[in-house]
Formats: sequence, C-alpha cells, structure tokens
Amino acid sequence: MSECIDGLRHLFSSILKCCDLEESRGPVDPELLARETVFSVSEIEALYELFKKISSAVIDDGLINKEEFQLALFKTNKKESLFADRVFDLFDTKHNGILGFEEFARALSVFHPNAPIDEKIEFSFQLYDLKQQGFIERQEVKQMVVATLAESGMNLSDDVIENIIDKTFEEADTKHDGKIDKEEWRNLVLRHPSLLKNMTLQYLKDITTTFPSFVFHSQVDDT
Amino acid sequence: MQSPVYYALVNPNLSILMNMCFIFQRITIPEIMKDEWFKKNYKPPVFYEKEDADLDDVQALFKDSEEYRVTEKKEEQQPTAMNAFELISMSRGLKLDNLFDVEQGFKRETRFTSKCPANEIISKIVKAAKPLGFDIHKKNYKMRLENVKAGRKGNLNVATEIFQVAPSLHMVEVRKAKGDTLEFHMFCKNLSSSLEDVVWKTEEDMQETK
Repeated sequence: MSECIDGLRHLFSSILKCCDLEESRGPVDPELLARETVFSVSEIEALYELFKKISSAVIDDGLINKEEFQLALFKTNKKESLFADRVFDLFDTKHNGILGFEEFARALSVFHPNAPIDEKIEFSFQLYDLKQQGFIERQEVKQMVVATLAESGMNLSDDVIENIIDKTFEEADTKHDGKIDKEEWRNLVLRHPSLLKNMTLQYLKDITTTFPSFVFHSQVDDT
Repeated sequence: MQSPVYYALVNPNLSILMNMCFIFQRITIPEIMKDEWFKKNYKPPVFYEKEDADLDDVQALFKDSEEYRVTEKKEEQQPTAMNAFELISMSRGLKLDNLFDVEQGFKRETRFTSKCPANEIISKIVKAAKPLGFDIHKKNYKMRLENVKAGRKGNLNVATEIFQVAPSLHMVEVRKAKGDTLEFHMFCKNLSSSLEDVVWKTEEDMQETK
C-alpha cells in the first residue's frame, strides 16, 4: 500500500517538475533536498513555511525578490545594504534576481549548526570577495569597513580606518601580495573562529518548532 | 478500596503512578522522574547555550578558584584591536537571524560604543551588575556575569567583551551566553540606565542614522 502511495508521489512530482517553468516554488521533492542538504525532511518542510511567509510579503508568487528579502532582514524595504545584496546574490545561484525555495534551502543549509565548517569558510570568502575575482582585495575590505561604519553612524578618520586594515592584512596576508586568497582566509578564520559567527544560525536547529508544518504526507521518521 | 472506573481505560503503569500521586502518598517530582512510565520516551529539556570559541578562556576561569571576585590586578594588555572582518561582521545585513523574526525584538546581543578608557568601562559595568545580583568573572577585557539566582531557563549568563576600534573609541559587546532572553533584555535595560555616562552611542542610535 505504501509503495503504491510512493509511486503516486513520484509520478506527481515528476509531472510537477515538467510544468515547472523556471523556479521550484514549493518543496516539490523535500526528500531530495533533505538528501542534498544538512536538513531533515521535517526541517525542509518547516523551512518552507518560513519561505512562504517571506515570499508572500510583497508579491504573492512563491518567490523571494530582492525587496522581500530586504523586508525580511531589516523589517523595512527602504534599506539598501551592500551586505544584504551580496548575501542575496550568493543565494541566487541561478542568477535571475529571484530566489526559489530550492535556492533558499540550499543556501541556508550552509548556516545550519551541523553544516561542515568548510562550507561556511567558502561561503564567507565568497561573500567578502565583492568583485568575485577569487581573492579579497584591500580595496574591497576598505569598502566593506566604510559601509559598516556608515550603517552604524560611526565616524572614523581615514587614518584610523587604514590602520585597522593594515593590522588585519598584516595578520591575514601571509603571502604579502596585498590580497587575501582562499587559503589565507581559511587560516585566518581557523585562528579567529568568531569571524564565522554570522555563518551559523542557531534558529535553524529549532525550526520545526518555530514553523510547524502540517503536511501529512511527510515522512516523519527521519533519523 | 476500589479504583475509580476511569482508571481501567488508562495504561496500568500510569494508573499505579497516579495512585501514588493522589491516594497513597504525596509523590515528589524527583520520584516521578524515576518512574518507568514517566521515563518512557522522555527527553529532558536542554537549554541551548550559545558559546563562542573566544569564550573558552573565560570558561577556564570557572575552574580557577582564585578569580571569584574582581581583583585589582594591573592589566598589561590592551583590549583586542578590532580586526576589519570582526567590524564587518557586525553589520546588520549579515545577521540572517532576523529572517526568523522569532523573538519580536528581544535580541540576544547588543553593543554600544564608548569614548571612555577600557578600564573605566569595565569598572562601571561591574558597579552596575553587582547590585543586580551578578557574580563577575573577568579576564583581560572579557567578562562573564552570572546571575546568582536561577531564572526561567537557568541562571542568566551574560558575556561582555571590549574591543578597541580606535585609540579613543571602544566597542562593547554584551551577549547572552545562557538563560532566558527576556531576562537578558531586562538586564540590558537596567545596565544601560546605569551606564549613561559611559555610553557614547547605543545600537538604537546607530540604527537610526542612515
């Protein structure tokens, strides 16, 4: 009997996949996502509840656009942020300016407390590599420091900012080439684990209680 | 004595337990927790402690019986100079916790800047926290404040750390390490009113400027 239901489910999801134009809107195959991410099936379903909430804020189309993302992050869509833009771009692996559920889940998987640290190191490196050249340049670091200070209303003189960056590069840029490559970033982060604190969201561990999902066909038996 | 009729509908182990609760003796909570029926599928609640790696040295303090009180030791070192990436990671755009919107504004951490020297900040925090019933554990410019009384989710533990952003500007981070977030929120409110002359800019001030 359960095989019959399974068969029907697979048939149903295949049909859905054919009709799916560009983006996966719902958890078409939560089991696939659970296999390919750190989440369990019930966590995927809970994540979908969160996704629905965020994606219906401005346009109820089952997709998260930049405005809805900003709204979810800052509780206002009037806030421009260099960092929110970078995060959005990294989530948007299809590069079409919108986030489908699959992109959302795969990206958030990196932030799970159980995700491998290498994924977190990789994600954070790409986050700070503003021009995506494969290394973090001094100029990019300065841009980010200035943006952060502006956001918090702190006024520091250029000298002070240069000083902060000098000290950072002194420690991080072990090859002394004026840029921080992946290896140097990895070494820096392993020495200063607090640099990765934003890469772990404890909330993801409690997500099934925060966003209960009442999808009855789900396989609750996940180990 | 005949058991009430409804007992017949219930698991026999449970009915024995219920008898002990109501009829024969006042069973205590620890005794209930030892009972077989109670222990079946029981998972004791775990209160998540958000521990950062840089609190490891403060953790070591708990094992050091000498440092139970704040000592007047002369601190040689300067507060940790803020690494550019540490500064960047304070940006709100990188705090994806906000996507979850769970605690409706009760943050788990807060920060403020101060133009006072680091030692003065420390002594002012200590002066403010002690009367609120907190034990202080200090190492360099990191502190761990522990509420002697247990609250809703165990004893509230607050971690503070001072960073040097510029020679005359310090950033103080106040973070909940353990305990109830609402209690942490109340603690921060009390702390900020005692620290009015130390604080240069609070997080609210910092958010308001565009």
